[in-house]
Amino acid sequence: MIITDLLRARVYGPDFLGFVSDVRFSFDSSSIGQPARLYGLIVSPHARSSELGFERSGVRSPWPIAALVRWRHRYSFLVRWGDIERIDVARIQLRQGFERGSPELRRS
Amino acid sequence: MTAEGDNQQPRWLDAHLHLLDRQVLDVHGVPVAVVDDLELSEIPAGQEIPRDMSPPVITALLSGPALATRIFGARPPDSRLVRTPWVAVREVGVVIKLSVGRDTQDLSWTERWVRDHVIGHIPGGRHTPKNEESQQGNERGGS
Repeated sequence: MIITDLLRARVYGPDFLGFVSDVRFSFDSSSIGQPARLYGLIVSPHARSSELGFERSGVRSPWPIAALVRWRHRYSFLVRWGDIERIDVARIQLRQGFERGSPELRRS
Repeated sequence: MTAEGDNQQPRWLDAHLHLLDRQVLDVHGVPVAVVDDLELSEIPAGQEIPRDMSPPVITALLSGPALATRIFGARPPDSRLVRTPWVAVREVGVVIKLSVGRDTQDLSWTERWVRDHVIGHIPGGRHTPKNEESQQGNERGGS
């Protein structure tokens, strides 16, 4: 599977939730070269495009672009790998009782 | 900008934000390619994913003609995408640095072929002007 099979896919829980706007990977340690494991999907209810980092890293300038991007990706959330039940072509089904995490990037 | 701040290795990587469209440099700092896609280890597509299944990992960076398919949808054929194994990635920042030279990668085979079979047959085509200049500079300095 390649990453574009996941990006922009439609995400469903009980109902339609949004689109995959990004895919987050994690490392066991801070050194690159370790396996990058799929941590979760960032789901945006309104937009398929990338958030360009504005919503997730606290960047607020240039403010017109930041405001526009944040508005387009309002109510975005992170779904962890364990909450993914099934991946079909352009469609991802989440498990019952899945949790919505914060899409904000955390520092190491 | 690195993912989490200057001179700091990220613990988290977002595909769009940190990897896709990044320039890839080999161990000598020579541009090799741009990341157009990422290859993941096997995910059971079209069937239920077991709860205890370990998450997939990035196995390779992919480069190839992905611009049109990214805009208009679908995906390029696998045969058109060239792999750079993830284990060869040394650092992820503004650019992605590899721990290997570009000549060991499939990505630059067309350039190598043109260099060996075309450019190499042109008189003076088997050495770089930079070496020539430095040699001349040394000669001038020594005289």
